Amino acid sequence: MEAQDRDEFIAAGLASYGIEADEIELAVIGAAHALFWPSILELLELDAEGAQPERDPDLAHAPAAE
Amino acid sequence: MSAGLDLTLSGQAAAIAAGELDPAELLEEALARIEQRNPALNAIVETFPERSREMLASAPAGPLHGVPVVIKDEWPLPWRAQRFGAAEMLAPSAPGESGPFLALRDAGATIVGVGNMHELGSGSTGNVSFYGPAHNPWDLARCPGGSSSGPAAAVSARLVGGAVGADGVGSIRYPAAYCGLTGLKPTFGRSAMAGHHMAAVSTTIVSGPLCADAADARLLASALFREPLEAGDASGLRIGIVRGDVTDDVAPAVRDACEVAINELVKETGGELVEVELEGLDPAALATILLANTEGLAGISPSRLNSLDPELSPLGRGLLKYRMLLPAAATVKAQEVRTLMRRRLAAALEQVDVIAWPTVPAPAPPLDSPLVELPSGTTTADRANVRGGALANLTGAPAISVPVGLAEDLPVALQLQGGWGRDALLLDAAQALERANGRRWVQALPPLAREGEPTEA
Repeated sequence: MEAQDRDEFIAAGLASYGIEADEIELAVIGAAHALFWPSILELLELDAEGAQPERDPDLAHAPAAE
Repeated sequence: MSAGLDLTLSGQAAAIAAGELDPAELLEEALARIEQRNPALNAIVETFPERSREMLASAPAGPLHGVPVVIKDEWPLPWRAQRFGAAEMLAPSAPGESGPFLALRDAGATIVGVGNMHELGSGSTGNVSFYGPAHNPWDLARCPGGSSSGPAAAVSARLVGGAVGADGVGSIRYPAAYCGLTGLKPTFGRSAMAGHHMAAVSTTIVSGPLCADAADARLLASALFREPLEAGDASGLRIGIVRGDVTDDVAPAVRDACEVAINELVKETGGELVEVELEGLDPAALATILLANTEGLAGISPSRLNSLDPELSPLGRGLLKYRMLLPAAATVKAQEVRTLMRRRLAAALEQVDVIAWPTVPAPAPPLDSPLVELPSGTTTADRANVRGGALANLTGAPAISVPVGLAEDLPVALQLQGGWGRDALLLDAAQALERANGRRWVQALPPLAREGEPTEA
């Protein structure tokens, strides 16, 4: 995502919620977005090997057999 | 003045039980030491001497009878609401009997103070807090780690022998590593969590101990678990190592110290080293961050975000607002990654008992510029640390950070991750490592604490 697209995405996203942000907050959001967005796009394309989320996963124990 | 505080936590408990140490004197010693050392550290954000004395006066004859401890600013106490290191929390906060408070009280411990923490629990460095940053006792200009910054700094400087932290994305293990302590992230759901403002929604956060050594961590964890974690010998330990960034993109001094420690552990336990496959640690880290941040959205609304306390840091305000822009599809994908990584970890743990890699890839960075130098380049400590810390939170499995050396006078740490419910084995392995290196690293003291040397009971 180019810098201009990024700025527009952030501005439009915040505006759609009616969330106000000052210059410093926008700089923080921009930096976070620049850091996370490429990885988020990679995550969305990740082959999770058909792993469906466990229903109510019991995180205190190993996963149930597939 | 007596040197009760220079005993380990276990040593203090044993000396009190044997009638060799007066717990009232120990409490006053702790309060005096906090007054003396804390101004340089900002590890403790509040003491309440009368409440502590009352707690001691009514303490039962439990395994921690009369032992002073610190609790992170993440749980309410009957006389104090938690602040979560922030000017305001986005969840209701009120005084109360939280699970960790009750566990400590019932074990006979005395809560002597509240530990500082990274604002809203959202950083691995501890350099941002409503109270101002806590400082690392090894170098006051360095980060103590986060988010359990104050508990770690307090134990490292020997203000107390043990502290209760919380770990949602590495938040016990990072500060343990930076401050040269033993820190246990328990199996999810096993340690006291009642009263935490996110207890109903979080699938990553647990309470756990930060202590000088594994015996102390065992004692404090047993209180938090409300069940004894019996000691074993870890003989024949099968230690898994993973090839990839988590072991390779690491500062050379950290990599060397961890390799030495792993080899010592193999020798001490008569165990074996096994290379295991564990792919996907980078997406696992992102998935953990997404889940933790999404779960943290409870109670957030646009109008709430438009009325944030101006004393909340600009970083905190910006990141809270950014959470609203995270795509829902990524959160669903994060759940798939959780399932995938739980399966992969379970498969790896069929071959080995523990998996070892550096807790953090570089020692504590400067407070005013929390960046670390790695073979791949300069990056933020947060970004570097989460790579190795997140898997335990994503999967629910336990992990422990143990000190294994010093690099330019700053602690270096190894993480051991084990199977679900095998918290005691991690403590056994940590104790085996202490035997192997002659307790050299758990007894190493930062400059601020070198008035007395810690001793075993």
